[in-house]
Amino acid sequence: MAKTIMIVDDSASIRQVVTIALKGAGYDVIEAVDGKDALSKLTGQKINLIITDVNMPIMDGITFVQEAKKLAAYKFTPMMMLTTESADDKKQAGKAAGAKAWLTKPFQAPTLLDAVSKLVLP
Amino acid sequence: MSEFDSALKIFAQESEQLLLDMEGALLSLESDPDDSEMINSLFRAMHTIKGSSGLFGFNPIVAFTHEAESVLDKVRNNERAIDGELISVMLDSKDHTARLIEHCLSSPDQPLPDELTVASDALIKRLTGKQHTHIQAQATDTSQVHSEGGGNISIDDSWLISLDFRDNAFRNGMDPLSFIRYLKTLGEIKQILTFFPEMPHGEVMDPESCYLHFKIAFTSDASKQTIESVFEYAADDCDIKILPPNSKVNAYLQLLDSLDENHVSRLGEMLIQVGALTEHDVEHALKDQSDAQQDTAKPLGEILVEQQMVQKPVVEHALKKQEQTKQKVAAENSYIRVDADKLGHLINLVGELVISSAAMNLIVERHGLTDAGDVAASMNSLVSSIRDTALELRMVQIGETFSRFRRVVRDVSNELGKEIDLQISGGETELDKTVVEKINDPLMHLIRNSLDHGIESPAQRLAVGKPAQGIVQLNAYHESGHIVIQIADDGAGLDSDKIVEKAIANGIIKADHSLTQQEIYNLIFAAGLSTKAQATNLSGRGVGMDVVKKNIEALRGSVMIDSIPGEGTTISIQLPLTLAIIDGFMVGTEQVRYIIPLSMVDECIEMDSTESEINEIEHFINLRGHALPYLRLGEYFNTPKSNVVKKHESVVVVKFGQDRAGFVVDELHGEHQTVIKPLGKMFEKLKGITGATVLGDGNVALILDVQGLIEAAIGKRKRKPALLH
Amino acid sequence: MSIKVNQQEHQLTKLSIENEMTIYTALEHKTTLTDHLKNNKDIQIDLSGVTEIDCAGLQLLLFLKRQAIEQQINLTLTQHSQAVVEVFELLDLGNHFGDPIVISADWKQ
Repeated sequence: MAKTIMIVDDSASIRQVVTIALKGAGYDVIEAVDGKDALSKLTGQKINLIITDVNMPIMDGITFVQEAKKLAAYKFTPMMMLTTESADDKKQAGKAAGAKAWLTKPFQAPTLLDAVSKLVLP
Repeated sequence: MSEFDSALKIFAQESEQLLLDMEGALLSLESDPDDSEMINSLFRAMHTIKGSSGLFGFNPIVAFTHEAESVLDKVRNNERAIDGELISVMLDSKDHTARLIEHCLSSPDQPLPDELTVASDALIKRLTGKQHTHIQAQATDTSQVHSEGGGNISIDDSWLISLDFRDNAFRNGMDPLSFIRYLKTLGEIKQILTFFPEMPHGEVMDPESCYLHFKIAFTSDASKQTIESVFEYAADDCDIKILPPNSKVNAYLQLLDSLDENHVSRLGEMLIQVGALTEHDVEHALKDQSDAQQDTAKPLGEILVEQQMVQKPVVEHALKKQEQTKQKVAAENSYIRVDADKLGHLINLVGELVISSAAMNLIVERHGLTDAGDVAASMNSLVSSIRDTALELRMVQIGETFSRFRRVVRDVSNELGKEIDLQISGGETELDKTVVEKINDPLMHLIRNSLDHGIESPAQRLAVGKPAQGIVQLNAYHESGHIVIQIADDGAGLDSDKIVEKAIANGIIKADHSLTQQEIYNLIFAAGLSTKAQATNLSGRGVGMDVVKKNIEALRGSVMIDSIPGEGTTISIQLPLTLAIIDGFMVGTEQVRYIIPLSMVDECIEMDSTESEINEIEHFINLRGHALPYLRLGEYFNTPKSNVVKKHESVVVVKFGQDRAGFVVDELHGEHQTVIKPLGKMFEKLKGITGATVLGDGNVALILDVQGLIEAAIGKRKRKPALLH
Repeated sequence: MSIKVNQQEHQLTKLSIENEMTIYTALEHKTTLTDHLKNNKDIQIDLSGVTEIDCAGLQLLLFLKRQAIEQQINLTLTQHSQAVVEVFELLDLGNHFGDPIVISADWKQ
């Protein structure tokens, strides 16, 4: 059974690159454009990893992680933050909210797959 | 003599020489277990003896040396580590081989006597009993392993990874299995142990908490950095320890050898550079080091080994390399040997130059020569640079003086039947050579005192739950223009009751004294006081401590003692960095000028300000709500009062160690470079004065003995009855 | 309920666990399975329906095994699914549980 990963990012191009890379590696992918959209797509189905951007309109990544952690079906789901090099405080805030993994932007597909496979192999 | 006999003789001589070499090699391996040349020479000894014994048909020798040879072959191929135990077995084997040879030579036709057979068997058992370094030898607490993944792990070629997950790992979405699966993509898991010593039984066990620990033997070509990054995301929820394979140790040692020798690096940096540690390891260890209490903080290398981040030989090698590099760098700096007298003369001249320069400033000021003012100012700054540089020429590190005491400690502890470890720190602290020369004797006395009176006998120590080995620490550091030298022991501490008893008996204090604990301790510096019931030939005759104090005070220093019963005694010596020139603060009262060493001046206050007032009755200055003892310098030195009505007074607040006091003066003249001229014999006993200096205008200013004056001020305040309570 | 009781007689209970054994089911599984430990001398757990097992699921099995040994109960794991075998092999735990593991031929490798 393929593992399912959700990618939450307001940038369509990043979503696309991530989705292509993950699908190519054998994961199922659910896309969401911001925290609120993502929450509406968390309907109880099995998700093995959530990757989320930090800065997004409507609902930012840290709030999203906090909200997702409150849902019974996702409270133990590993979360990965996409941060920028300069935003170490965001990384710490993300960790505090419950996203223990992180990936520094910009990244290339192999780096993403490497990081993802430490948490969930396809 | 037949050819056979002469061959036997050669065999005997050759074997004797080989065994002698073997013994030498074993002893030197004890201090440097990685010396491959020595290991080869061990192997050669056993190999050659085995070979030639075979020629003569000495089968018992062949059988025994074969076993020893195989073990040494393993050592040579890094399959078995040299440790103290192996060395001692090898030493026994060497002796045993000698006995076997002796037997075979003297009675070649007799079977081996029983005791030699038994000894052979026993030694072979010891030689071969422990073939491998097992995971148990490295893991900290394997007695708690519940789930055996199948015996021992041979880790010589493997990284040893310990993963101790914490409660919240699962809740944070961390699945240890994922990391282990990913790890498998980097190499081969040779063996994995799962255990859960802290998992509660029954109801209490929370299935959402993680109680699992893993130990993994892992072979891979990946770097430590790469392996560490596998567990990067688990770092918050897991204690991760990654010990490089023993077989990597040699590679690290070689890399350490090839490091640049022209630059002294820090231990952590060196180990990161060769890949034995990651930055994360070093940060972690440094944090542990800084978190520890100052007196329990350990050297970085020790922490790294304790936490199983890297093998001990690697750290030791790195430290050795560091030392070599230091020496090389030091040796490359060229030195000129200079006659100490010439240097002394130079410093005297610089002293005079400082005075002349002060004189010139005075004239420039008096005549209002603005043009000359600038020139004078720049010359002034040059003069003070020259002064500092000249004084620096005489600065030496105290380390050499400290090291000399190693031998003293060794000899004395043998003599007294005590086990004492001397720990030296701050050896790089610099001070004037003349001070170093004069501090040697007092230090020697204080250390001997610590060894004799301070540290208890091993039996006494064990009885009170201390380790048998006592510790004496020698430490030096700079503090506000002074050097502080500390001699600390972890012995029995001072017995204040005994000191008081003795002091009363000797008439040093009265029976109704009201001394503080500190003051009681300081009584040991009084002449004729020794608390040791039985005097030894080292100390305890009650002469010496007073001489120590006098010698130190002669260097314008002070000595303080602190002690905690049962835990030890610390003696702190505070000394000026130099005896020649100081930065002073000049004050004046009743036309007389005084110099206070600038490093001891805390602040200056105008007395008409609202911040402070003098309480003449209780004899203290109310300084922002705190009582400060004070002295009027004019009164203290009995200078004749002038008839001029004083407008206002100033207070210079001085500090010495923990004590503070105010000196009430008429004028503040400000900073002044002071060349210290010793007082003549006539004035040696003068209280409150340690020296004099010549001012630019030719007048003399007196240099104050701040410590003595503070004591006088405190004493004065105490004697005043408290009227207002 | 993802735990089914297939047979229960004379202190022998045969159970089967279906679907996932993960952190999400660990609490529920622990409650149910420890209840069964109370009244039985022999327990067989059929793992053929376990589609997914994570470290929390594995930890629960380790816990049950220890608990069973302490209470002198025979706990046998049978019909290990591919997911379970993969984890047992990863951690080299086959010997620890001591149950024969049958590897089915139709598993995709």
